[in-house]
Amino acid sequence: MLSALFDSSVWTALAAAGVAAIASILFLRSRNFLYDSLALATTEIGLVLLAAGIVAGAIAGRLAGGFWWTWDSRLTTALVGVLLYAPYLMLRRAIEEPTRRAASAAVVSIFALFDVPLIALAVNWWLARRTVPAPFSAGWMILPVAILGAALAWMRLRQEQQRRAQDAERRTAQEI
Amino acid sequence: MKYVRQVATVTMKDLRAELRTKEAINASLAFALMILLLFSYTFDPEQEMMRQVSGGLLWIVFAFAGTLTLNRSFARELPNDCLDALIAAPIPGSALFLGKCFASFVLVLAVELVSLPVFGIFYRVHWTPQFPALFGVLLLGTWALTIIGTIFSALTVNIKLREVMLPMLTYPILMPALMSAMRLTTSLVNGQPIPEDDFAWLKMLVGFDVVFTAVSLVLVETVLVG
Repeated sequence: MLSALFDSSVWTALAAAGVAAIASILFLRSRNFLYDSLALATTEIGLVLLAAGIVAGAIAGRLAGGFWWTWDSRLTTALVGVLLYAPYLMLRRAIEEPTRRAASAAVVSIFALFDVPLIALAVNWWLARRTVPAPFSAGWMILPVAILGAALAWMRLRQEQQRRAQDAERRTAQEI
Repeated sequence: MKYVRQVATVTMKDLRAELRTKEAINASLAFALMILLLFSYTFDPEQEMMRQVSGGLLWIVFAFAGTLTLNRSFARELPNDCLDALIAAPIPGSALFLGKCFASFVLVLAVELVSLPVFGIFYRVHWTPQFPALFGVLLLGTWALTIIGTIFSALTVNIKLREVMLPMLTYPILMPALMSAMRLTTSLVNGQPIPEDDFAWLKMLVGFDVVFTAVSLVLVETVLVG
């Protein structure tokens, strides 16, 4: 059950990373800020899902073997995924100017997506000597998790769009 | 031909500036020696365990010391608005980027080639018998370090938290390359050739270099101009 939850969260987060990278490429081509909001929303939700997945995985490990953290290749890959995508949000906070922020963040998102398969492969090889990777166990669980992820991303996208519209209005008001 | 000359001009300019001030290379070298010394307090350098962790230690030193050099790569151009002049110069952004990459590559490699014998002496590791292969791994690993370091150095050059953001961004991305380099280096510094099983890691390292050189060259204009 927990293991299925972990697998579902990780796969949904991977899909979110894919959507974020595609949105980033579309932003760089069109300079339409809707794509930037989409990339931000999916990355945030992806990170939340990864974090939730790691917690589920840790509890599953504790129940099964008595240890909170086993150096299992999927759990480790998920942790590296968090470390890979958290700086995306930190970078966004550090840049003031909206176009510059969106373009820089898009570059990070594209680099990160190219790195994901390499990391998954490398971690798998590294830990292959010690642990046997568990079979894919998401099962039916992936459906509700994916729907939840999509709904959260949609809410976050709407909220982000609204915030930007308010900012724009405030700026116009200040100019008048 | 013209492109090669443009790249070479930027590389020579960076190396000349660095050799005159020596600001990055001195700091980087001192830092590398410092970490090498600190490691001796965490475990007994004369024990057999040292052989199993040597590759990992060496690359931790290289990655940390390299970041100091890479941080300076674009930050060096900030005083007197040199960066704006470089971007406005009539050369493609990729030539500027590659020029800076090669300059940092030479500097980071120089630091590595100084720390390697020191490492060998301190920890009694026999790195000389397999030096040609080890040098190859050094070249590949250092290229991975410099290509990622330089592109993110350009990306973070204008933000306040530059020194903090660069390692945060680069280390997770570099993880597959560092893991490969660590794995390959561990057998080589113990005087053994790369085992058959580890050729996959060599492919991973080469693949990492190729993929991220290509991605960087595609995205470099966006990074520099915004």
